[in-house]
Formats: sequence, C-alpha cells, structure tokens
Amino acid sequence: MIQVQNVIRNYKTGETVVKALKGVSLDIGDGEFLSIAGPSGSGKTTLLNLIGCIDALDGGEITIEGQPVSGMDKKAKTEFRRNNLGFIFQTYNLIPVLSAFENVSFVLSILNIPEKEIEERTMRILKEVGLEGMENRRPDRLSGGQQQRIAIARALVKNPKIVLADEPTANLDSKTGEEILKLMKEMNRKYHTTFIFSTHDSMVMDYAKRLVLLHDGQIVSDERR
Amino acid sequence: MRFIISLALKNLSRYKRRTIITAVAIAVGLMMYIVVDSILLGAEFESMRNLRWYETASARIMHPDYWEDRLMRPLDISIEDPYTIVDSLRKEGIAAAPRTMFSADLILYSEDFGEDGHMPVQVTAVDPELDNSVFRFEDTLIEGRFVESGTNELVIGSWFAEDIGAKVGYWVTLVTRGNGGFYEAMDMQIVGIVNCPNPNVNRTLLMVPIDTIGDYLAMEGAATEINITLPESAKIAEEVARIQQLLDPNGNNLLVVSWDDLARDYVALAEAKRGGTGMILFLVFIIAAVGISNTMLMAIYERIRELGMMRALGMNDRSIQLAFMVEAGGIGLIGSTIGVLLGIAINFYMVNVGIDFGLLMRDMDMGYRIQSSFRGTWNPSTIITAFFFGSILSMLVAWIPTRRALKMDIPSCLRHQ
Repeated sequence: MIQVQNVIRNYKTGETVVKALKGVSLDIGDGEFLSIAGPSGSGKTTLLNLIGCIDALDGGEITIEGQPVSGMDKKAKTEFRRNNLGFIFQTYNLIPVLSAFENVSFVLSILNIPEKEIEERTMRILKEVGLEGMENRRPDRLSGGQQQRIAIARALVKNPKIVLADEPTANLDSKTGEEILKLMKEMNRKYHTTFIFSTHDSMVMDYAKRLVLLHDGQIVSDERR
Repeated sequence: MRFIISLALKNLSRYKRRTIITAVAIAVGLMMYIVVDSILLGAEFESMRNLRWYETASARIMHPDYWEDRLMRPLDISIEDPYTIVDSLRKEGIAAAPRTMFSADLILYSEDFGEDGHMPVQVTAVDPELDNSVFRFEDTLIEGRFVESGTNELVIGSWFAEDIGAKVGYWVTLVTRGNGGFYEAMDMQIVGIVNCPNPNVNRTLLMVPIDTIGDYLAMEGAATEINITLPESAKIAEEVARIQQLLDPNGNNLLVVSWDDLARDYVALAEAKRGGTGMILFLVFIIAAVGISNTMLMAIYERIRELGMMRALGMNDRSIQLAFMVEAGGIGLIGSTIGVLLGIAINFYMVNVGIDFGLLMRDMDMGYRIQSSFRGTWNPSTIITAFFFGSILSMLVAWIPTRRALKMDIPSCLRHQ
C-alpha cells in the first residue's frame, strides 16, 4: 500500500547540510499499526512528514495506493491529503475558538459533505472516542487526554486510509498516553485504518504491531510482532 | 464557506481585545477622515459663497482695459452708460448693479477719533437701491443704516471700524483724484457699520453712494463695473458666455468675467489647500492601514501552527487566505461602522454649530473668506467611500502577511512556537 523507496532528505542549516534520511526504503501494508522509533534527530518525524505529503524529498520515491505522491504538485498533494490522510499531532493542534464538535466536523466541511451527514458522522466518532456530552466544549475546557481524543476523532472522521501520528503521547502522562494508544489500536482494529506513529517512548513501542527503528537517517531494524 | 465565515466570526469574538483595539484605530481614522473632509469642504463652500455674496458677485462686467489695469483702479476706463446695461440685463432676469471702485486717502479727525491721522483705503461706491439685489450687505448691518443716494454717507466694515475706533455719526474725509486727475476731498459721515462674514471685506470695507461719488469725481454717470448675481445652481461659464453674447451686439466692447476668474488667487489657494487636504487624508489612512496591518500580522504570526494544521488536513491555500481576509474584513467592518457613525454624529454638530475660529481669523488671514465659525458640510460620497475603504483596506492588508505565512513549508508552520 505504501512504498518508500530509497528516500533521501537533506536540510540546510546555514552552510551545513544535515542528512535527515539517507536512502530509507520501507513497505507498509493496509491496516498496519506501525511505530517509527528512534532517538531525537534520527529522522522519524521527517519520514512521517514525507509519507504525509507535507514535506518534499530530495531523492527516491514514495508511492501510496499506487500513486507516486512524491511527484505531485502542491495542489495535488493538498487534495491527496484531504481525501486520504489523517493527522494526529504531538501538541493536538486544535483550533481554540472552535468546540470539540466543530474541530472534528471542519475536516468534513472542506470535503463538501452534506450538513446532516457531517453531524451524524461527527457525533458518532466523538462517541467512539469517549467524548459524548462534551461536543460543545472548547479545547481550553478539556484535559490534554481529551484534547488528543478530539485530534484522533478529527483524524478518523473522514475514514482515511492512513493516519499519521507524530509522537501522539509525548505531551500526556503515562496513564493517559496508554489510554490514547488503546483507543488508537481499537480504531485500527475496527476501521482497518493504517496507523503510522513516531515515538521514542518504550511504552508506546510496546503497543506497535510493527516497530521500525531509525538511527541517523537509516533504518536499523524492522520488527513485526 | 460557512465554516470560513463561522471561524472568522469566532476568532473576532474570541480575540476581543485585539478586535476592539484595531476596530477603534480604524474607527478613529475614518471618523477623522469624515470630519476633516467635512470641515475643509464646508470652509471652501462657505468661502466661495462669501466671495460671491460680498466680494466678487457671480460675475462682473468691465472694460477689457480696466480688467488689465484693475489694480490701479483707473476711473477713466469705465462703463459709460451702466444703467442701460443693468436694465437690459434685468429684462433677461439677471440682477445687476453698478459700482465704482477707487483708491483714496482716509483722513481722521481728533474731534471724533481722539487724534488726527490718515491712511490709504479702497472705496466702493454703490447704488443703494440696486446693490442689495446683487450683494447681501443689508443683512449684515449691526449698527446704524445703509447709505442713501445723493448723500455724503459712508458704511464701514466692523473690523475696520474697530481698528480705527470709528462709530456711527463720526465724520471722515476721503481725498482722491477724480476722473481727469484733479484732486477732490469729500467729507463723509459714517451712518452704518456692517459685520460682514467675509473677513477680507470686513477688514477694509468703505461704502459710499455712487451718485454722490459720480458728482465729486466727474464720472458723468459712468461706473467702473457692473456686478451680476446668478442663481447658485447656474452654470457660471455658460451664463457668462450668454451675458457676453447679450452685450456684444450693442458694440459695448465690454468684458464679462466670472467670479472664479476675479478671485483667481483664492481659487489657486483653494486648489493648493485641496492638495494639502488630500495629503492629510492620505496620512490618516496610512496610519489606519499600518495599525490594521500590524494587528493582522500579529494575529497571523501567532496562529501559524494553526495555519499549518489546516494545510496538513487538506484545506487549500485559497480557503485559508479567505478565512483570514474575512476575519480582517470583519474587524474593518466593525471599525468602519463605528467610525462612520461617530463621524456622522460629530459632523452633525459641525454642520449645525461648527467651530468658532473668530479670534484667530480676526488678526490672521488664512485665505478663507470666513469670519468666525467653520462649519462642516454633508458629503455622502466621503462617508460611503470611508465605509467601504475601511473594510476593503483591512482585507487587503491581511492578504500580504497571510500570503507570506502560506509560503512557509508545512513542517515549519507546525514547528512554529
């Protein structure tokens, strides 16, 4: 489903060129629950961003569902992300002026889905992530765990093929982090959505069905469990 | 689109302080624009009206050579039979009155004025029966009465009277050269004081009966000019051409000059002032634009991560741009509405009461033909322009920083602190 072939990504900081990814290759199948792990600076977020079509690679190719996304222009990438990808961010990145319901429903609004369907799907997903009754609350009235649940609901409400999560539990305490991971795993099982998440937390790695270890921009191990 | 509008409105209400401060900046800018424009336009309108009512009339007939030498006030270049022309104009429905202008030396006596003295003056000889059908001095009398035909009477401007200590009943002598160069001295009694809204006239006016002066100066029924008044709505250039055509077949060799040619200096000054006004108004707008721009820049800068998230989730740049522009337009709309309402409220006072610059105008010539109160005027086009400009300008100034933020790559937006 996702083919990462010999991907290279370099960053320039002044005169110095930092080689973030040095020819990474990886195949990810449908419905996988995959963790990309590694220390800080190993390239896991970069890899996630490239799969998520929000960064441009310097070499190699990424194909998702048979489509070579790395060659797409900006407009096509935006459309691809809108239709196929869900994102969960470390800092939740919710819109502070919107309620939980609105934060989730806006991704359906930009897909031009009818209002009635938007409401039904949003309420259903909020119930599934355990936020029933809190749909009118704004993010500042919710705990970190609850905010991340909104982010998960937002990522899943459009039934994407792939959900990308960059250190989804890094801002949460271990108990809440575990709850979030359980929720993600449940959603993976229920909707057969591919989850790819980056982490350097061993507890999070334990939840993964497949663990890809990165070090200095290269894959050092790829373990299925 | 509904989501974009809803998001913009929610951001406006959530960031209340920012919305209020920026809206107030816009409101103050627009209010100033409306009020300043109203005062300047009102002053110009009133100045021009006072010019026509007390100084130039709507147009003037004179000999072409007199027009060339008008500063010298030559009595020998005159209109020989002014009343025939006045009558023929009146038959055409045009109010006209002859006048003779001359320079003289005004002699003051110690019996009335406390000490003897003299000064150069400009004297206006008028037909008391006809002059008030063209000019409006009758309404400005504050003491005494207007001059009567065949008398040695004189009416003086109130500021001039104040400056020389003149009162009704005082005697003065005018010494001048008559038509032909002979010297003539005329004893005149002050019978009235006028407080003319035109400060230039009020500072210098000395008005005497034209028939008395005609006898003294051997004018033999001639006058140096005929003043004409036309309705306010009349197209002056067309009317001047029409009057010129009426005069030409009679072989008069006379010239009709419109008021704006007569007051060419003032018109040039007014045009220069208009340029200055435009600059002031431009600066007001620049200040408002910088204020809005700064606020929107801050608003966008602090929400770059939010912007990155929206882009990552597939919202296109155009929609994001639109969301921020609608938000800025909302601030502009609030500011414009408040600014226009405030501007109208203050302008209501300016139109009906105005600001009294009497003390300033008494001793200073600012070029305006206004003696005391500067009043505003209603200018709907300025109010409408201000309203739309405030709203549209806000949207435009949001466009640039949003565009810049959208040029950042998404990971940088998401990392932004």
